[in-house]
Amino acid sequence: MRHIFFLAAFLVLWSLALVVFQVPAYLVPSPQQLLAKAWFLLTRADLLTHTAVTLLEILLGYAIGCLVGMAAALLFHRAPLVEDILSPLIVFIQTAPKIAIAPLLLLWLGLDMTPKVVLVAIVTFFPVMSAMLSALRSMPEHLDVLARTLRMSTLQRIWRIELPQSLPLLFSGLKVGATLAVTAAVIGELMGTRAGLGYLLALGQETADTQLVLVSVLVLSLLGYLVYLAILALERRLLRWHDSATP
Amino acid sequence: MLIEVQGVTKTFVSRGGEQVVALAETTLDVQQGEFLTLIGPSGCGKSTLLRMLAGLVEPTSGRIVWQGTAPARGSEVGFVFQEPVLLPWLSVLDNVRFPLDTFGVDRRAGDEAARQTLELVGLKDFARALPKELSGGMKQRAAIARALVYKPRLVLMDEPFSALDLLTRDRMNDELLAIRAEVGATIVFVTHSVEEAAYLSDRVAVMSARPGQIRTIHTIDLPAPRGEAVKDLPAFHAWLSQLRRDLR
Ligand SMILES: Nc1ncnc2c1ncn2[C@@H]1O[C@H](COP(=O)(O)OP(=O)(O)O)[C@@H](O)[C@H]1O
Ligand SMILES: [Mg+2]
Repeated sequence: MRHIFFLAAFLVLWSLALVVFQVPAYLVPSPQQLLAKAWFLLTRADLLTHTAVTLLEILLGYAIGCLVGMAAALLFHRAPLVEDILSPLIVFIQTAPKIAIAPLLLLWLGLDMTPKVVLVAIVTFFPVMSAMLSALRSMPEHLDVLARTLRMSTLQRIWRIELPQSLPLLFSGLKVGATLAVTAAVIGELMGTRAGLGYLLALGQETADTQLVLVSVLVLSLLGYLVYLAILALERRLLRWHDSATP
Repeated sequence: MLIEVQGVTKTFVSRGGEQVVALAETTLDVQQGEFLTLIGPSGCGKSTLLRMLAGLVEPTSGRIVWQGTAPARGSEVGFVFQEPVLLPWLSVLDNVRFPLDTFGVDRRAGDEAARQTLELVGLKDFARALPKELSGGMKQRAAIARALVYKPRLVLMDEPFSALDLLTRDRMNDELLAIRAEVGATIVFVTHSVEEAAYLSDRVAVMSARPGQIRTIHTIDLPAPRGEAVKDLPAFHAWLSQLRRDLR
């Protein structure tokens, strides 16, 4: 309820400011103009298709990054040697600016979705992997003794003890990964693409269409927000047992 | 006889390379169905001996021989730790059923066995609760239920009640005696408390530190079944003094 009030107040102030300061519409459109533009893009242009493309890149890349990140953490935890061997490469990929990697991926993988999915996966991988690894490293010793007393197999351990035990820390990594994922998808698209919200952004910039840029930005933040909400909902569901869980 | 501990020693090598003798040569047998208590100062190797009995740690020398076959599967030994080790994401029922799930027992039979065991430890009404909703004593009862649910040949308990307040501890002792009368398991129990040792045990092995070793083994000839009344007997107090002397 409060949110709606603030949103309404914000929209009113926005409209008023445009009139008071006499901002030309081609620089900053009014809320009504923006809404009309969004409606036009939705019904007459391919806003939905572009949104779907970006969302798919985010979801695919995020899922891959999370799975690979978790698997890598489980592997590194069991075989520190593998981590020692791979860590220079991982640190290099992690510290290289993502904007700098993007053109490389586009050169190698073409202009379609693949390089974006890979970029999203790369940025998701690191926070998920390190959160999972620190969860595994802080695993209470008594859980290990329990697993060994019951002669649990490696798979049973992973599935029935390590994964659930890691969840609280893992979710902090999943949230960081999610915000990075949205950014990475757009960066990838801005570097060159035929579809997606990044394409609309670039198009809007080239044609000096402020409204198109603004609509794209709004839809993007909406996407990011929805992805974040989905993770929160999942966390609330899976972590009811945890002290941090909201009752 | 269930287990023979034959001249077992355990030496740990620390990070710095120095050797720590956790347990000097120890010979001991565990009788079928008995309640055997290990008592001794901390660091004398009680937990190490328990872990070797559970097969979690290999002896440096000597042998541990089981009557019949050695426990190859996890279902032969139940372990109760000082802190109640429950999985916080599982309900009490699911925690107790956890070993059975691990052994591949089907869900229906597992639930049935888990419910029965929960009833045995007086937690029937808390089957659906999460561990965080239980008190310390209740958590430990759930952990005991999990160690008993698969009817292991040997139950190892490492200072299971030392984190509890005295009243709760007394109650848990009586409950443990009742549970044991019901399931007839062989129990090896570790404690710091001479009262607990004398009250619960058929035999008490007194250990000494540096190097960790069994000094004497007493057969506690107090009447069974034990109950509050036993604590008033002169014989009970004689045992307390005897054990205290041994520990000095
Ligand atoms: N994993 C280990 N590595 C090195 N030293 C150990 C290890 N476990 C136990 N010890 C040492 O062995 C001795 C006996 O330990 P423990 O069996 O835990 O004694 P207690 O349970 O009687 O207090 C102690 O000096 C302890 O520091
Ligand atoms: Mg100990």
